[in-house]
Amino acid sequence: MTAALRVEGLSISFGGLKALDDLSFTVNEREVFGLIGPNGAGKTTVFNCVTQFYRPDAGAVFFRVDPQRLAKNATKADTEDGELNLVGRPVHSIIRQGLVRTFQNVEVIPELSLIDNVLIGGHVDFTASMFSQMFRLPRARKEERAYRDKAMAALRFLKIDHLANSLTGGQPYGVRKKLEMARTLMAEPTLIILDEPAAGLNDAETEDLAGIISQIRDDYQCAVLLVEHDMGLVMNVCDRICAISFGKFLALGTPAEIQQDAAVHEAYLGERDDD
Amino acid sequence: MEILQPLLRSMETGSVYALAALGIIIVWRTSLVMHFAQGAMGMFSGTAVAFVLNRTGAPLWVAVLAGAVVAILLGFAVDFAVIRQLKRATAVGKEIVTLGLIMVFMGLAPIVFGTDPMLLPKAIPTGEVEVAGANISYNAILNITVGIAIAAGLFVVLQKTKLGLAIRATASNEQTARLMGIPTKTVTLVAWAVAGVLGMLAAVMIAPTTTVTPTFMNTVQVSALFACVLGGFQTFYGPVIGAYLIAVASNFLKLYGSSVWGDQILYLLILVFLLVRPNGLVGKTYLQKV
Amino acid sequence: MSETLKPQTRRWLGNAHLQYLLFGAVLCLLPLLSSSGVLKASTLSTLAFVLIYAIAAMGLNLLLGYSGLISLGTAGFMGLGAYLAAYVQDDLGLGFWVALLAALVVPTFIGILVGVVSLRVRSIYLAIATLCISEILLKTFEQAEWFTRGTAGKQSSYPVIFGVHTDRQAMFVVIVIALIAVMMLTHNVVHGQLGRALHAMRSSEVAAQAMGVNILKYKLFAFALATLYAGLAGALYLFFLKSSYPSTWNLFLSLNVIAMVVVGGLRSIFGTVAGAFVIIAVPELVLKELPVIGDIPGLPYIFSGVLIVLVIMFFPQGLQGLWQLVRDAISSRRHPSGPGTPRATAEVEPPLGTEAVTR
Repeated sequence: MTAALRVEGLSISFGGLKALDDLSFTVNEREVFGLIGPNGAGKTTVFNCVTQFYRPDAGAVFFRVDPQRLAKNATKADTEDGELNLVGRPVHSIIRQGLVRTFQNVEVIPELSLIDNVLIGGHVDFTASMFSQMFRLPRARKEERAYRDKAMAALRFLKIDHLANSLTGGQPYGVRKKLEMARTLMAEPTLIILDEPAAGLNDAETEDLAGIISQIRDDYQCAVLLVEHDMGLVMNVCDRICAISFGKFLALGTPAEIQQDAAVHEAYLGERDDD
Repeated sequence: MEILQPLLRSMETGSVYALAALGIIIVWRTSLVMHFAQGAMGMFSGTAVAFVLNRTGAPLWVAVLAGAVVAILLGFAVDFAVIRQLKRATAVGKEIVTLGLIMVFMGLAPIVFGTDPMLLPKAIPTGEVEVAGANISYNAILNITVGIAIAAGLFVVLQKTKLGLAIRATASNEQTARLMGIPTKTVTLVAWAVAGVLGMLAAVMIAPTTTVTPTFMNTVQVSALFACVLGGFQTFYGPVIGAYLIAVASNFLKLYGSSVWGDQILYLLILVFLLVRPNGLVGKTYLQKV
Repeated sequence: MSETLKPQTRRWLGNAHLQYLLFGAVLCLLPLLSSSGVLKASTLSTLAFVLIYAIAAMGLNLLLGYSGLISLGTAGFMGLGAYLAAYVQDDLGLGFWVALLAALVVPTFIGILVGVVSLRVRSIYLAIATLCISEILLKTFEQAEWFTRGTAGKQSSYPVIFGVHTDRQAMFVVIVIALIAVMMLTHNVVHGQLGRALHAMRSSEVAAQAMGVNILKYKLFAFALATLYAGLAGALYLFFLKSSYPSTWNLFLSLNVIAMVVVGGLRSIFGTVAGAFVIIAVPELVLKELPVIGDIPGLPYIFSGVLIVLVIMFFPQGLQGLWQLVRDAISSRRHPSGPGTPRATAEVEPPLGTEAVTR
């Protein structure tokens, strides 16, 4: 099994407080990997370090990049065995490598239609120059058409294609969550990071979501890193789970193993973890 | 090189900028609104002072009291009728509203007080004293004293009194303050009134050096904003320091740099400063939440 | 669109670029009305200024509406365009095209520098930073007499374009052509990938970056295009009025341009033109003619200021939103069961009026 993402010795502190302390884990290709931990364990900080919103004090984030993609992005020199250390790279360059995320508070653009929101996910693929776009030269028009079809396919995958041309602002929460996931598919991801996708969803919607996550892994052949509070969803959908507490590694294993783990039980003791 | 004389003069204009800047900062801290109309509202109530003085022949202190009443009422009115209704607007939206208020007050002033430019005399018309070879008028001493006294008084109020605690609590987190039982609405109302009075005082202090027209506070407004940038928006004392720094820099640049290009050089320096230290001299950097 | 039209005709009329061209053709008729005496010469001038300011406002709309960036520098950049045009055409004698090029390139370059500033400062400081630049430019206009003739004012002349000596009416047509070109260019920008990137940046810089939007690139782009439009508007102002005074390019002009964008409705191309009409032409053509209040000195100021405040407080969608409501009302009367496609206009959250609930 090859690793899609290898996090090694990640440490970061805010104002003297260690948010992450020498944390390491590996996400394999085409697996759903769960990251769990009590409130304040540092789960979101892991995300932000991986996607370079925060610069870690120490450690490395190795990400496997498809050779074709590498050739396109001209970053070959930096790789070792096809792995790229993301630390220190600009935030906006991360998606180009095939690593894309969603947000806990659902960051979609209310003033645009659903399909335009999805098209944002394909932003880096647009190669027509600004000039060509400003004057609507044939190249820009052709590109726009091609990606519009691709965006339509992503919306269809999440079964919200009938709303493609509606404005996003008035849509219910569930639709906006699906929209955010459709947007990640535009980037031809090898790893999708989902930040608490079940937050705010009811039971039926959460069940639906579990199906979508497995389907994304199978149909789009990509790995999913899931940070989630809903234990039902995590246990149901994840292939492997990593538990952390106070920024430190706690346990790693299959859902069944994690459920039996004494250290995990201790960390959660006294805290009903449903936010 | 003569230093003391321009320094004293800078202290005087610095006091004016400091008062106006304090008004901007107290509004920013309590309402999270960038108060672009501070100068325009000061102009309006300052013009009211000149109007009362010229029309009724009342003594200056009576006119200033009348101006303070106008300033307080304006502050109440703006907060109550406009700012409070904007709770859900974005920062840029609120900014634009106070920019719109500039135009409203600039347009209203000639309608209410007439189009003829008016004069406002100094509080102490004549007399000066020599300090170490430099001359300073009694009026300048008064202005400097008023500026420093009010800034110091405001700090005491903010640090030692219950009202000050309420203002600081509202400034640090409006929602939490409200949950703690602080009447945040009253606090912002008071803040707008205080800002109005500070603007009026700045206007009365600067008016004798010019004529009272709708634009006579423009330089003060611009300088006060830059003072806030220089000092940072996170503390109450930062902008006061910024105000005096700007006054000193402006005077010395004009005197020993270029009388014509002094202001442009100063503004360029401020721009460069903004690039190097976007949070001001005493500002803290803040972590963006994702 | 009327139901009686053939589908083909309707699709034709629905083409945005064709709408702009039709709009331009109608505007080009105005000088004819003026020369035949139907339209007063002063009215034609007022309308020319509406169109000139609409060009500058289109640039601010890219910043304020699409990118969520505020600028108080519009007047300064317009003034720079005007003085450069006069300097290159009349002092250097290099002709219309070189003058126009100078008026476009130099402000754009400074605009890019402002974009760099905007990266460093938080959004609340951006207004102050741009105000700072505008003040520097304004004071320079007053002092650099070799360039601007200071407060005495710079005089210029109608340009010679393609060997044709223009006059007021020809210049009006030139302004119309420039405006239509700007409208079409803006349309292309905002309806493609560029526009989506600006939208993303306004909505959330953090999310935009995660989607691969390079904030540096798009902030510079937005500022560059906005100042390009301002420079163009300034040059056209000069060529139409044949003079420029420093006092024209003060903060109030910048505020008026903001008023045009806000009143017209953010992120609307025709709305911006309508906003410019309301802010410039209504005080000049309507309010001045009214009895009693027509003589009030500060009326245009109050008009703009009150409109800004009221629109943001009560109707953040501006004229564009009003037009939408009217259109929806008409179409719902025509199809009592409701319009075919679900519309969510009322629930869209405009960026200035209300904050997104999800924050």
